Amino acid sequence: MKREGGNRFVLPALALLSVITIYPILYVIYLSAHRKLLIFNISRFIGFENYQFLLRDDRFWNALKNTFYFTGVSVSLELFLGLCIAILLNRPFRGKGLARAVMLIPWAIPTVVSARMWEWMYNTDFGLLNYLLGIKINWLGSPFWALNAAIFMDVWKTTPFVAILLIAGLQVIPGELYQAARVDGAGSWQIFRKITMPLLRPAILIVLLFRTLDAFRVFDAIYVLTGGGPANTTETLSVYAYKVLFQTLQFGYGSTLSVVVFLCVGIMSIVYINLLSRDRRI
Amino acid sequence: MNKTMTNIALLILCLVCASCVPSEKYDSKKTVIVFKHGKIAGDPAQFERLIGKFEAENPGIIVKDEVLPASTDEQHQFYVINLEGKSSDFDVLSMDVIWVQEFARAGWLRDVTGLLPEDERDEFFPGPLQAVAYKGIVYAIPWYIDAGILYYRKDLLMKYGFSPPEKWDELIAVARYIIPREPELYGFIWQGKQYEGLVCNVLEYFWGNGGDVFNEAKVVIDSSENIHALAFMRDLIVKYGVTPALVTTAIEEPTRHIFGNGKALFMRNWPYAWNIFERHGSPVKGKVGVTRLPSFKEGVSASTLGGWQLGINRFSQHPEEAEKLLCFLTSPEVQKLLAISIGYKPTRKALYKDKDLLREQPFIAGLYDVFMNAKPRPVSPYYMMLTQVMQPEFSAALTGIKTPEMALISARKQIEHIIKSGEQ
Repeated sequence: MKREGGNRFVLPALALLSVITIYPILYVIYLSAHRKLLIFNISRFIGFENYQFLLRDDRFWNALKNTFYFTGVSVSLELFLGLCIAILLNRPFRGKGLARAVMLIPWAIPTVVSARMWEWMYNTDFGLLNYLLGIKINWLGSPFWALNAAIFMDVWKTTPFVAILLIAGLQVIPGELYQAARVDGAGSWQIFRKITMPLLRPAILIVLLFRTLDAFRVFDAIYVLTGGGPANTTETLSVYAYKVLFQTLQFGYGSTLSVVVFLCVGIMSIVYINLLSRDRRI
Repeated sequence: MNKTMTNIALLILCLVCASCVPSEKYDSKKTVIVFKHGKIAGDPAQFERLIGKFEAENPGIIVKDEVLPASTDEQHQFYVINLEGKSSDFDVLSMDVIWVQEFARAGWLRDVTGLLPEDERDEFFPGPLQAVAYKGIVYAIPWYIDAGILYYRKDLLMKYGFSPPEKWDELIAVARYIIPREPELYGFIWQGKQYEGLVCNVLEYFWGNGGDVFNEAKVVIDSSENIHALAFMRDLIVKYGVTPALVTTAIEEPTRHIFGNGKALFMRNWPYAWNIFERHGSPVKGKVGVTRLPSFKEGVSASTLGGWQLGINRFSQHPEEAEKLLCFLTSPEVQKLLAISIGYKPTRKALYKDKDLLREQPFIAGLYDVFMNAKPRPVSPYYMMLTQVMQPEFSAALTGIKTPEMALISARKQIEHIIKSGEQ
């Protein structure tokens, strides 16, 4: 009896979720099995044809490669730098509160704004970066640098977020553990490896979960910074999907690309969540 | 504290009620038509005055003009989403020259052939006229026109005794002579980022060398003329060294800044930059000249056509009133007013001989030939797909990822695929 009552209370939330999340997801999957071209008034069921086309689409594979490269490199750098900053800022020192607040500024700026800002800093002629380095590199125009430049901006922007989450993780580690370890004669490196890292694991997994999913869907930074160019060397899956959906109006194939992004993100989430719950069981 | 909160709540309530009461302006007997457009350049009061004039001439109509986001991609997206949903929330819409075919094919635009009778068509430039007709039916009326032109530094060319170049090899020779003799000066800048503007730039070289994207229905984008033209653009950067590599990330505004700061000898851009260069305090005021874009030895100069057209939403509830606004805004009088007040270039040829206009903007006379020869980008309902193919391929050739030949062959294959799937 009690249980039934509980179910009823969940209903409104469930209804809301199905309207704003489940319905769009199902609709995109439905669209992905269609050939839907708005300007031609074409809309017919074609089953898996879009997916077959996808397998032969060089632009898709290129976008997938860029997306994985972007995600892999930016998330690793952010984790490494975020961890260093978190450990530094977790020590007691004067002005700690201020330092933490200042650190968060890049994260607080909307991505579109910071992307515009970086676009100017990367400018070959007037850019701050080339001025400081005393060189003339065409950061956003060279196929080699462009994606790395976008990664650098993402690292600049999101490292503070990673650091804040990790600081929170560090703070729940009881101070007695460190004292006990020191009494037992453990060195700093040993303490880090045997105490900090294992106890920080859940926080790190949360960070990785958030950041991997975010980075994998990266759109605004790239769209503003390079628009996917030069020659699609910075085009990620989301940017490609956007162009197919909203610029060329191929709703069917665009949805197929979105489904692929959704599947990748889904698989990654499941892996992370499994790792997290396994931790909890231990 | 509590009292203040109550007062605030009351105030909010009053405001909400007040906004529900129909204001004087929206009299129920009058018809309200909504005009959607991108940001109007210059002082918005000028345009409001114009709308006021229309309302005074047509007492039964009220015009609400609503501004869309600045980026044309977002405007396109707005129209597509709303027209696909058969929205009747707006009546008159302004469209980029490349959208009319697409919207017409989708059945989203009202036939306005009646507003543009055969004998009146000659009054417009041929390029925009071609862009607004789909299968013999007119779906929009050209509002204002744009085309790529060559800006040059009058003072520097005079100093070294050169005249404005007419062919590309002349431009290279002039630039290579002057660059080493002037401190911190680029030769020739243009727009090479992977975006719509890159297509506009590249097509000008194709046409200037006698090439094109289509020949009737056949895709000829990988013709030897085009390969040569695209290779030449890359050579401007790597072989001749007159164009800095930064153009591969540049859109209009950065190039306008560089030229406007006196740091470039030549620039390809749209006519809008002229008014900015001539403003008070501009470092290049009085030093800038404009001319047609150069061409290759055997070719003739050609510019890419830009500009905006006005059409009527097919789902509009007030088509007659919308037609009146369309006629008003594209009339010779209003085009002249817009040209003088905010610099929009008229689509009607006769205005380029208008004495008042020539007095206000003398450089407009020189644009007549450019606009007469301006060519629309491939006039096709598939255009938005074609450009998504061309942008990355052109970019690949300019940055040296692919040879021009490889890039254009790949573009041809993709375009053929698009056309084929459109015919199914």
